[in-house]
Amino acid sequence: MKKILAMMLVLVLAFTGCSSKTVDTDTKKDTAAENTTKTEVKSEEPAPPEGITYADKQIFNSVYAGEITTLNYLVSSSTNELGLFANFVDTLVDYDKYGVIIPGLASEWSSDESGLVWTFKIREGVKWYTSDGDEYGDVTANDFVDALKYTFNPDNGSKTANIAYKVIKNGEAYYNGEVTDFSKVGVKAIDKYTLEYTLEKAVPYFESMLSYASFFPINGDFLNEVGDTFGTSNDTILYSGAYIMETFEPQNRRVLVKNENYWDADKVYIEKLKYKYNKEASTIGPELFLRGDITQVNIPSGAIDAWMQDDKKKDMVRPAIASYYTYFYALNFDPNYDEAYNPEEWRIAVNNQNFRKSLFHGLNRIAALTTGEPYNPENKLGNTITPKNFVNAGGLDYTQMGSLKKFADTDSFDSKLALEYKEKAIKELEAEGVEFPVSVVIPYSTGSTENANRAQVVQQQLTTLLGDEYIEVFTLPYPASGFTSNTRRNGNYGLELVNWGPDYADPETYSEPFATLYPESDERAGTSRYKYNFPESTTQVDENGNNIFDVYVSMVNEAKAETIDLQKRYELFAEAEAYIIDQAWIIPYRLGGGGYVASKLNPFESQYSPFGVASLRYKGQHVLEEPMSSKQYFEEQAKWQAEREEVFNKMK
Amino acid sequence: MTSDVKTEKIDKSLFEFAEYDSKNAELIGYSNYSYWRSTLQVFLKNKIAVILLFVVVLLLLFTVVQPYLPNQHSPIKINVDADGLQLRNLPPSSEYWFGTNSIGQDIWSRIWSGTRTSLFIGLTVGIIELIVGIFVGSIWGYVRKLDPIITEIYNVITNIPTTIILILIAYILEPGILTIIIAMSVTRWTSMARFVRNLVIIIRDREYNLASRCLGTPLHRIASKNLLPYLVSVIMLRLALAIPLAIGSEVFLTYIGIGLPVDIPSLGNLINEGRMFIMTPSLRYQLLFPTAVLSIITISFYVMGNAFGDASDPKNHI
Amino acid sequence: MASLYLQKKGGKMSKYVIKRFFRSIFTLIAVITVVFLLMRMMPEEGYFGETGTDKLDESQKEAILTNLGLRDPMHIQLLHFYSDLAKGDLGDSLIYRPNVSITKIIKQKAPYSIAIGLSSLGFALILGLSMGVVMAKEKNKLADKMGTFYVVIIRAVPPIVYYLFIQLYLTQIFKLPLLFDIDEPSSWILPTFAMALGNIAGYAMWMRRYMVDELNKDYLRLARAKGLSERKIMVSHVARNALVPMVQYLPASILFTIGGSIYIESLFSIPGMGGLLVDAIQLQDNNLVQALVLMFSVVGILGLFLGDVLMAMLDPRIKLHSSGGGR
Repeated sequence: MKKILAMMLVLVLAFTGCSSKTVDTDTKKDTAAENTTKTEVKSEEPAPPEGITYADKQIFNSVYAGEITTLNYLVSSSTNELGLFANFVDTLVDYDKYGVIIPGLASEWSSDESGLVWTFKIREGVKWYTSDGDEYGDVTANDFVDALKYTFNPDNGSKTANIAYKVIKNGEAYYNGEVTDFSKVGVKAIDKYTLEYTLEKAVPYFESMLSYASFFPINGDFLNEVGDTFGTSNDTILYSGAYIMETFEPQNRRVLVKNENYWDADKVYIEKLKYKYNKEASTIGPELFLRGDITQVNIPSGAIDAWMQDDKKKDMVRPAIASYYTYFYALNFDPNYDEAYNPEEWRIAVNNQNFRKSLFHGLNRIAALTTGEPYNPENKLGNTITPKNFVNAGGLDYTQMGSLKKFADTDSFDSKLALEYKEKAIKELEAEGVEFPVSVVIPYSTGSTENANRAQVVQQQLTTLLGDEYIEVFTLPYPASGFTSNTRRNGNYGLELVNWGPDYADPETYSEPFATLYPESDERAGTSRYKYNFPESTTQVDENGNNIFDVYVSMVNEAKAETIDLQKRYELFAEAEAYIIDQAWIIPYRLGGGGYVASKLNPFESQYSPFGVASLRYKGQHVLEEPMSSKQYFEEQAKWQAEREEVFNKMK
Repeated sequence: MTSDVKTEKIDKSLFEFAEYDSKNAELIGYSNYSYWRSTLQVFLKNKIAVILLFVVVLLLLFTVVQPYLPNQHSPIKINVDADGLQLRNLPPSSEYWFGTNSIGQDIWSRIWSGTRTSLFIGLTVGIIELIVGIFVGSIWGYVRKLDPIITEIYNVITNIPTTIILILIAYILEPGILTIIIAMSVTRWTSMARFVRNLVIIIRDREYNLASRCLGTPLHRIASKNLLPYLVSVIMLRLALAIPLAIGSEVFLTYIGIGLPVDIPSLGNLINEGRMFIMTPSLRYQLLFPTAVLSIITISFYVMGNAFGDASDPKNHI
Repeated sequence: MASLYLQKKGGKMSKYVIKRFFRSIFTLIAVITVVFLLMRMMPEEGYFGETGTDKLDESQKEAILTNLGLRDPMHIQLLHFYSDLAKGDLGDSLIYRPNVSITKIIKQKAPYSIAIGLSSLGFALILGLSMGVVMAKEKNKLADKMGTFYVVIIRAVPPIVYYLFIQLYLTQIFKLPLLFDIDEPSSWILPTFAMALGNIAGYAMWMRRYMVDELNKDYLRLARAKGLSERKIMVSHVARNALVPMVQYLPASILFTIGGSIYIESLFSIPGMGGLLVDAIQLQDNNLVQALVLMFSVVGILGLFLGDVLMAMLDPRIKLHSSGGGR
């Protein structure tokens, strides 16, 4: 897990140190001539780890309940959908199974001295294929230009455009219509196989962004051909990745087949992926797995106890790989909900640090977490916004830096502290004319019972601990679709469980929901871009008379300005993050992903990266004969970690 | 009802001559037929219905008094252990009779709380049906000008599948008890209205009523003697049937995701939660208990309602 | 259930059918109008999806709404809607599959629903009618009582309860697949059977009622008096007339199938319109919900129309408003 940044560090130092370094590739050396001699070696599949056998039939079966709404990979940001797209379309850069950056569609790349201009050599001979497997055309530099042209057009409603337009020169201006000439935007095809990006400002993490959907390519001719129907069915997109979607019948089934002509086909082992739709997938999935019908299934939280207690089933489950999504309870500084719940009272209370801290220490996170993670919930707790092991510098994990360490190592729940802060808050708030109990509005999505359960648990736990004379908790149900729009984005909540996923390999990404406001040039200047908990509305000032939001933003800006010394940069970000946790703007809650799966896949064969789509690819994975047990999982994990360390050490 | 006529030898000793009594002669045409007694008699003959009537009465009583009985848990309280963690998925025990659910709530009390919700919905829908049905039905019957319009409305509503109307209304309005009540009431008043309309027309047109009126019987007497029994029996029937229907509709809407919010204990929510454990034998009690109670309630009300409907139909009185 | 007040005068069948047809058309227009107007009450978020609500600013949203014609006066919108419908255009899906024409989506789904629906109807017809015959013959005996018990359970208990138990236990007992699979014929059995349960009860009840009435009729007494065997009477006299209860229950059975399809299709993952409706509702895809509600209404109206017409053709004595039968 460690050292991901050690490598980044090497790269960054390399180009800031003015030489334009070329990352060369092993694969590129496989010229046709060598291929003939190497065939045996190549076709010889990697031997499976000890105790694990690969299945004879490399076919992956699964059931799913969440249907994808579109195949337009330039628009969607849903993990569910990206999970498919990642297998259809390759990105410029990719990650190997240890999380080392490797060439993808770009065979080599470099940046200029300033770190502003990046040049990519596109791998020659890679083709686009139709859903029938027919060749459509070459993948060229222009495909990346056409893609940005598409996503930077607000009419197309791309949900991932913002990640790209904030970093690409004139991207946001073009998106907002201030620049109308696309040639002014920082993306150019120098020739058929040379692509050049120009950035708005140098950022140390640009490469890592390239493995995200914002930088997927598209064939312009094809796009013109299909027009508005792009991505509405499996034959209205083109494929340059390891798999082709042979069948797409929404609410029925989808079938992915290996693209035999894929440029890196030797590393694709699973021949076919079959997905069967079932609205009740989570209920009957485990049963189907037991009957041998499917290859992988998440064990729902309600059933995990029963599986763990059953001698036979116990060996079929293993922990799922955690994601780098972070979940936290946000305290809303700009409440905008029904008068019936006294938003103005909450507004005063939330600007009181002791009030916030009473909630911060009062929330029993384990109790809440048990609703979704009944088995070993402790393993899933997250004490910081940035998850552990996301990045590190100088041999130190980010969460262990400076003031952040204190929070990373302690559980926020402390009933004694909570009650102390409560007393202080009552005194101070009564002086401000607040009438107790203060209403705490917790909205939840009716999409799953787990959400409702968690809301009820939190409601009763907080009320019982802090007393109903202090707070009155209201849990309000909202339909799953449009949930965040109706609640968080509208400020329609007091306390809400929200999440955030990283867009690139830098702690800056976890500061964005709080610190990012629309720029001066925008008509919405000064308001929150991501609409999380609107800390810009706070009226609270610190002991020096500075508004606490301004204090936080200046801390973040200072960290952002540090683009050379990564360790210093991270330390500064860690201080900023510690500041808002200490101020209890949010209550860190849990890591993403997780739970338990029964699976015939080995997660340590998979490509790995905390951000981007690389880890969603099936390339490199095998279907196993038997499901992996927890024991095997931990053994493999240890082995993987050791190997990874070695790889990163070598790179130093 | 075959009445086989058999000719037997006539025993003359069985007969005697009646004497003429002018007083009794005046009583001609009088019968001691009482509608309610006959209804009761017919109903009591149906043993299963009588048993179920007891069940229904007990159920009604029980759902009302259950929260006040000793050792009952709150249906929404999350029960926690000494460390403040939820007592999840406890199997049935002397403390939690039907066990606890995945967040430690007492399933036994949730079932009764859900039943109260459903009974409330059912009764409210029944009463709305009554009020709207009688009101619209009377106008429909009396005001001849409005007849074609109401007939068209009736035709349109009865032509659309009830399920679809239910879905449409529940989809448009906010999820909640009120929405379910509205969605059910929109279609349900029609049959009551049609029934009342027919009654009104009977008053207006039937020969025996006409004759009765000619003989000077006041209208209220016709209404109370000839019509009220009909009306009351239909009301009872519809009220009884509204309850299984309310439960069914709520379960259905909850299943498709536009029912009651999850934090309101209701039979639909209980079944939906229990459904997740259908493939987990050790937790299946979370589905079995609610479905068992629900089935007893719906079947009792359904059979009892129909038996009463049959009994109160004068055609079945001999 | 069916239309009231249809006095058939003069016995001219065609006249009645035409009249009844126009009544259905009128109902249809009324339904379309009401559904359309009701759907306009939905929050406008439903027209942008998650993307739009978040990213678009007010002026862009206005532009989209104007483009969709939702800023026109209501009567203009309605006229557009009618003319689109007349062309067979149900609009585009908004969230379920953005920009895909709903007609196209339904074309993919409808065959499954029709196939399962019809096979379950056929199944119910055979089983239900024969059950009714047995019940009538064994009136007040064990078979009849068991049958009645079955009917009561089916009618009183919410269907999801017995559907769940079918899925749980019957798949285990008969080793049948849990999920529908187009390539696997045995996966059709349980959904078809489950969907037929309600209609079996319905047909059995109508058939029983009809038979009991019929058995008391004079011509049967004559047949008995002639010395015909019970079996012969049943087969050649009574059961032959099974058409009457069949037609009487037809509209209700179609309605029941629609309701059942919503459960069954999502439980067994049949890619049909019932499951689609559940999804569209959960995604709040207004256009798709609107289209599906209309489709189901059309099926319902058509069913009632067919039932009434067949009934009139079958037995001119039967009052035209007594068809249908409650559910």
